[in-house]
Amino acid sequence: MTTDDDLHLNAYVDGELSADQQAEMLDAMRRDPQLARRACELANLKKQVRLAYADLPAGRTSRRDCARSPLQSLAAGVLLLVLGGLAGWGLSPAAAPGTAASPERLVVLDPEGRGQTPATAASGEMRIVFHLNNPDQTAATDLLDEVERLLIAYEAEGRPLRVEIVSHGEGLSLLRERLSVNKTKVKELAHRFPNLTFVACLNTMERLRVEQGIEVKLVPEAEVTRSGVSHVVKRQREGWSYIRV
Amino acid sequence: MKRKLAHLLDGLLPRQRLAHRVADARPRLYRIACSWCRDRHQAEDLVQDTLTRAVASLDELRDPDRLDVWLTQILVNRYRDLQRRVTPETGWDGETVCQADRPDQALLRQDLVQRTRAAIARLKEDQRQVLTLVDLGEFSYADAARALDVPVGTVMSRLARARKRLREILEADELAPASGSRVVPMRKLR
Repeated sequence: MTTDDDLHLNAYVDGELSADQQAEMLDAMRRDPQLARRACELANLKKQVRLAYADLPAGRTSRRDCARSPLQSLAAGVLLLVLGGLAGWGLSPAAAPGTAASPERLVVLDPEGRGQTPATAASGEMRIVFHLNNPDQTAATDLLDEVERLLIAYEAEGRPLRVEIVSHGEGLSLLRERLSVNKTKVKELAHRFPNLTFVACLNTMERLRVEQGIEVKLVPEAEVTRSGVSHVVKRQREGWSYIRV
Repeated sequence: MKRKLAHLLDGLLPRQRLAHRVADARPRLYRIACSWCRDRHQAEDLVQDTLTRAVASLDELRDPDRLDVWLTQILVNRYRDLQRRVTPETGWDGETVCQADRPDQALLRQDLVQRTRAAIARLKEDQRQVLTLVDLGEFSYADAARALDVPVGTVMSRLARARKRLREILEADELAPASGSRVVPMRKLR
């Protein structure tokens, strides 16, 4: 047999009461120590239940264990990918069967979630600017791979996307004719995807000329902007998603 | 570098991101599953099964904000199916569960943990589910009601009864002999 008091006390302990109800409850407990004691007991019990399951044996996480799971559907494969053991590269549509879905479901976003909330123009177009100032060219290689996947995924789903890669400072080497190890990739991507733009920073080029006497020659696919930093800031102001590499 | 970039890019493909959130829900589901299942293997299978189904049917999730409730609904259904196949039996008596710096503390805690788990295992199914969803799953009453597909009022009354019963079981247990005997689960004596 549970009384209304019981229900209220439980709701109080579970944080389910409104501020007004809580005030009422606190006042009632001040006048009735018996009530206060019961609330305290319930709160302790809740703590005890939580404590009982605070430490759990580690769940199945290793790749090998997962592979042995009887649930060997394709979906499980996707899940494993997502669980991060294998790749952490969930972007290619080929890796995720069942992603061919209606666009309206895919644009539902949760701003509380992880990652960045993508900028979406009024037309529903996703716009992302990558700011590359990392001297490590493997970072640029990774970036290009990732951007390619993104472009392909959006293309496959027929969703509008615009991507700019702004290379600036030490990141400029991506777009330098003589230095870039990714020249072919840049050319290929720029030709295949009209919605992808490579932007080089003029200030960086001038600094190289003045300070080190280097005349920078850019790959033909590169466009230039006065200042890479200002350009990135401008894009952010315009609501583009910004990812620094 | 790669990982970081991939992480950032998650945000750009909502479905992928949702799938990541499904994976993030795993510890919470596992905790709940552990309080329902007879051992950790069964709990792991239940969670794995739930997550697999969830990822396969992400399309059916209408409102991403309801992800946790939706996942728990799947968990509840999977658990129901599981029970049809195996005799339900709960309790984790054999497992070493606690780590502490001091052995005496560890023992004390271990004892408390085991008694509490055994007591939870003795609750009626519907009471246990409500109790664990609210306390371990940290669900609001409204969300627990949705997950179990019952009215909020039912959640409230079941929860009140569950806690009342849990206290009775624990108090009765206090009176039992303090040494080993109470740790031995009933079914092992059968």
